[in-house]
Amino acid sequence: MVLVPHLIALGLYALATALVVAPFAGLRPASRAVTLGVALAGIGAHLVGVAQLAPFRGVAPTLSLLALFLVLLQVVNEAAFRASAVGLFTGPLATGLIGLALLIGLAPEVAFPSARGPWSVLHITVSVLGLAMLALAFIAAALYLLQFRELKTKRFGQVFRLFPPLERLDQLNHLSLVLGFPTVTLGVLLGFGVRYAGGASVDAAQVVWGMLTWLVLGWAVGVRVVRHWAGRRAAFASIASFAAVLLVYLALKLTAPGTQRFL
Amino acid sequence: MSITVLGVNHRTAPLEVRERFAHAPREVPLALERVLAAGARGGVLLSTCNRTEFYLAEPEEAVPEAVWALLSERLGGGRSAVEYGYSQRDRDAVRHLYRVSAGLDSMILGESQIQGQVREAWEMSKAQAGPVLHRLFQSALLVGARVRSETGLGTGAASAPSAAVAVAAKIFTELAGRSALILGAGDMAELAATCLVSEGVRVTLVANRTYERARAIAEELHARALPLDEAWDHFADADIVLCSTAAPHAVVTWDRVAPAVARRGGRPLCILDLAVPRDVEPAVAQLENVFLYDIDDLQAVAAQAAAGRRRDIPAAEHIVSEEVERFWAWYGGLVVVPVLKEFRERMDRVRAAELERVLRRLPHLSPDDRGELEHFSQALLNKFLHQPTIALKEAAQAGRGYGLLEALKRLFGLERHDGP
Repeated sequence: MVLVPHLIALGLYALATALVVAPFAGLRPASRAVTLGVALAGIGAHLVGVAQLAPFRGVAPTLSLLALFLVLLQVVNEAAFRASAVGLFTGPLATGLIGLALLIGLAPEVAFPSARGPWSVLHITVSVLGLAMLALAFIAAALYLLQFRELKTKRFGQVFRLFPPLERLDQLNHLSLVLGFPTVTLGVLLGFGVRYAGGASVDAAQVVWGMLTWLVLGWAVGVRVVRHWAGRRAAFASIASFAAVLLVYLALKLTAPGTQRFL
Repeated sequence: MSITVLGVNHRTAPLEVRERFAHAPREVPLALERVLAAGARGGVLLSTCNRTEFYLAEPEEAVPEAVWALLSERLGGGRSAVEYGYSQRDRDAVRHLYRVSAGLDSMILGESQIQGQVREAWEMSKAQAGPVLHRLFQSALLVGARVRSETGLGTGAASAPSAAVAVAAKIFTELAGRSALILGAGDMAELAATCLVSEGVRVTLVANRTYERARAIAEELHARALPLDEAWDHFADADIVLCSTAAPHAVVTWDRVAPAVARRGGRPLCILDLAVPRDVEPAVAQLENVFLYDIDDLQAVAAQAAAGRRRDIPAAEHIVSEEVERFWAWYGGLVVVPVLKEFRERMDRVRAAELERVLRRLPHLSPDDRGELEHFSQALLNKFLHQPTIALKEAAQAGRGYGLLEALKRLFGLERHDGP
């Protein structure tokens, strides 16, 4: 029963993505209610599927959880910021993540003992939520730069017409980053706690690279909150920090495969 | 039975003529009273800067003359308003109002302001509109809303001032509460400022080389006036700068505004240069978070929107035609009702009289038999009237009821019923 809700969610997310993309292809936009309704129906099906994946051990369940949070954040963003264009990224990303999870196989991997308890589930859930927030900050920053270029070069094309105002994208980036950073931090701390409580050690490379990534993320938040960076500079900082997260993840995945991690 | 529109608009009369015809809200009831006194069952006066139109229900022959006389008086100089005017009747009049409300007849295709003006005209004339025009204007507002929601006729900014608003709205989350600085006292800047103010932007400063002129505009916009040379420092605070000076060269230069822009802390600044020749040095656009648009840029935005709107004209006209037929079906049905009522009453009186005569001749009938006879006469009458009633209603709804109505009235000697 894990497969069917995921397949339904996949279809509905793909449909929601098509509805967001339609105006960019010159088609008449669907109403907000329809787009949100389709996404919410997808979330409903997805929740049923994800609930059966706990304790989220393995890449596929984590990808599925990440996709769920991305769509949830998109819906929240739509309600609070009306930045539908964010769905141009979150939609395909969530659809792709579920597709990838289905290809990998959704059955949870065998978890080591400490990874079966509620604290482990909380660690994974909070960390993935933080990651989704950082991804949203990255998307908002990318959209900001696209709209910025459109406005500076006076192109007045589809991006100008359909993307949200610059300031709104900046606010979305700010909020996602400021909420995402402490969430990720909490997730990491919970992870350390779970590991040490379970008597398992943490790989030194993982600690060093993890700290480095955390510092880069902290810098991106710091320049926004303390130094009041905004606009293009803040967008670049946000993109750089998220790129650091991805690069470190890929580096660890390549250099130390099989190390006990949820993702 | 008829609906008529008489008036002038931006296609038939130049601005200096139209502005003489424009009626202030307080003048509307008196003007309508005068026209209705010439013989009409209802009237609405729609008066904007682009049109002055009298919509009239059941106007008698003297009414057009009264309208043109009233407008000619306003024109003065012994000139006649008829030469600038037009008139439409019945379906064409309904179509005209629907097209006006949808923005199809506007100077800027699809502009939405007219919808509000139609609503205001209806509300101002409510006491004198009468039921038919009441329904007509109510439906016109729905047609306008339907055209705007089902087609792209109202999308985008199709004029330079509205394009200025559209561009600013792509930079700031909310325009309401933003502060604007106006440089110069050109008409275009004043117009764009009015558009921005209608979106909630606060014009805080007006700067001009001639201080007196700046003060005059500042008073209108509840802003503060200052000499042009003192304006540069305010680039640090304003969110939007509208430039429209008559200077022959750029007055807003990098050197003058860069120090102030540097103090903005990364907040975006939207500069709208509506002057020809341009007021702002192109290098100013290179400043971080400064978005500079000149009149060509804004006209490009407007042209794009206008092209998009033109593509949707056929769809909008289709909606208008559909709604005209719907209204006309209702109107046609409305006219038939009193005639049919009188026709039925007349026939029923004949039936009752004949029945009474027969019953007097047959006094031996029991009460049951008398009731049976009464029931028979009712049924017979209903059978006879059923087909003509249906045919007349259908013909009226299809807009072909007049001939039949006239024939019915003549054949059965009914009283004159020209309208509801």
